[in-house]
Amino acid sequence: MLEIKPIINALRRSKVGAVLLLIQIAITTAIVSNAAFIIQDRMTYLQQDTGYPEQDIFSLSVMTYGKDRDLSQQFEEDENMLRNLPGVVDAAITNAVPLSGSGSASGMGLKPAPEPGRSVRAGYLMADDHMLNTLGVTLSEGRNFYPDDVIVTQDPNKLPKVAIATRTFADEAFPEGDGLGKMMYIGDRPFKIIGIVDKMKGPWLKDDRPDNVIIFPYIKAETYQHIIIRTEPGQRAAVMQTIEDKMLAAYDKRVITNVIAMDEDKRQYNASDTLMLRMLMVLIVVLVAITALGIFGLTLFNISKRTRQIGTRRALGARKSDIIRYFMVENTLICAGGLLLGCTAAILMGQQLLQRFSLPALEMQYVAGTALMVLVMTLLAVIFPARRAAQISPSVATRSI
Amino acid sequence: MLTMKNVSKVYQTEMVQTHALRDFDLEVKEGEFIAVTGPSGSGKTTFLNIAGMLEPFSSGQYMLDDVNVGALSDNQRADLRNQKIGFIFQGFNLIPDLNLYENVEVPLRYRGIKAAERKKRIEACLEQVGLASRAKHLPQQLSGGQQQRVAIARALAGEPRFLLADEPTGNLDSLMARQVMELLEQINRDGATIVMVTHDPELARRAPRNIQIVDGQVADLTLYQGVARQTDRAVVGG
Repeated sequence: MLEIKPIINALRRSKVGAVLLLIQIAITTAIVSNAAFIIQDRMTYLQQDTGYPEQDIFSLSVMTYGKDRDLSQQFEEDENMLRNLPGVVDAAITNAVPLSGSGSASGMGLKPAPEPGRSVRAGYLMADDHMLNTLGVTLSEGRNFYPDDVIVTQDPNKLPKVAIATRTFADEAFPEGDGLGKMMYIGDRPFKIIGIVDKMKGPWLKDDRPDNVIIFPYIKAETYQHIIIRTEPGQRAAVMQTIEDKMLAAYDKRVITNVIAMDEDKRQYNASDTLMLRMLMVLIVVLVAITALGIFGLTLFNISKRTRQIGTRRALGARKSDIIRYFMVENTLICAGGLLLGCTAAILMGQQLLQRFSLPALEMQYVAGTALMVLVMTLLAVIFPARRAAQISPSVATRSI
Repeated sequence: MLTMKNVSKVYQTEMVQTHALRDFDLEVKEGEFIAVTGPSGSGKTTFLNIAGMLEPFSSGQYMLDDVNVGALSDNQRADLRNQKIGFIFQGFNLIPDLNLYENVEVPLRYRGIKAAERKKRIEACLEQVGLASRAKHLPQQLSGGQQQRVAIARALAGEPRFLLADEPTGNLDSLMARQVMELLEQINRDGATIVMVTHDPELARRAPRNIQIVDGQVADLTLYQGVARQTDRAVVGG
């Protein structure tokens, strides 16, 4: 016997506490379901497969101030030295480091400028034929650069004629899926896609096209360069410790900075997301705890307020289980009202977040999951006070309180 | 119908043992109307609570309709209470958030009676106490006497064999008290057995049988009645 109707009638006549609780449940549901969805979205983002063996890769920056060496020559010597270091798998000089948050991007045209035509935006890396191996990525189609393809120069007019692209980029440029071997243009300069990599991220994970990456076989001999190094598994820390000394021993008129592991680089780039994630988690825990405490407190208050009523019910034939059920049903009804309101508010809030902050659309399973979690939490929060209520002696009915 | 033999109730705290009832003996026959009187703290309410199975007793035997109450579980006592006993409390004990209809309905719901049957009984009982037209009112919209009549309707709705009334007129003025008493007498004439605890000697005298509890035991009633008559004469003579 659930007494739903009299409980609803009683709640309607004495509604302040119930309404406050209902609002609290609604707010919790609305915020927690959106926060949980954002957390899940960010978790997916943070844990995404970048295509790189991040734990084996690190990078460094080189600022050369010496004028007594030919930079192109020096870089070649550096690469050879690094590739022969114990524990190093491969190394490559590059203009930008993937996942670092710093790099270059441009629109790659399907037609040479100034002809009108579609262009596809991509982050680009400039490196030699060792880049793929250094990044630990493999080609799924086509070929790697030949050493002859690589241009090491300080002449801005010398540009590469070939490129390796990610599958995402190639498919966006050529939706038929036949990007391999096709020509594209940077401005009016043509290049041919000679190889395709299935998975590889660019410099910016938060870019709206993080998977659009192109590698050109091109090393611009500039005074400021980056070097990416991949080590044997477990060797990275040891190599990182000595790398500065090794580089300066090769040529000392330069400064080695920013020696950083790829996963740490990514972590720093994503620091604000991690912080937001943690804050949202704290928010959820605090909100849920406050709501649970609210229900717990309100039920305890209701019990102390209704001690004689509970005693009277027991005197009139209620079993202890009837009293527990009464409070469980009462709270479930309040909770159901709160969840109805909260789910509606969650959906509306999700729509606003979608419109104003370009967040992905709230998935209904998060609303349903949160509603279920809040319902379970309210039931758990009410069990102890309800059991306490059931212990009230029926003799309370005849005693003065 | 109700038999108590050597029933004792001891309240035990760390420092003190209080004997609320000692070797209490009583037999109530079907259809009786008994008034239970006694000074404050004599054990009247404890007797009522034990008779109504609202609290356990420490020793002795209590039989209600041939059921050994001392051997029942908490759930069995709740069920027996619901089926056999109607309570009328001094403070009415109506549930403030429920209207009169819903208040009368409470014991019927615990018994699992179907809605149509409940409706029939509630309407009949409210009619009997003269409040059928106010079924949708809340208790606080009624006078004290009316509230007590609702409480009587609630006690009657389960068609109990046994009505226990704890100072049913204690919170009422004399006019309302008389009306409630007349209602109880009518209910008794209709066949219900009534045990009424009261402080009021006038009400007690209206009951066909009086018992007095002193120090947790049934006192010598003959003596008490004699004293009461003398007191009455003295009052009249004075």
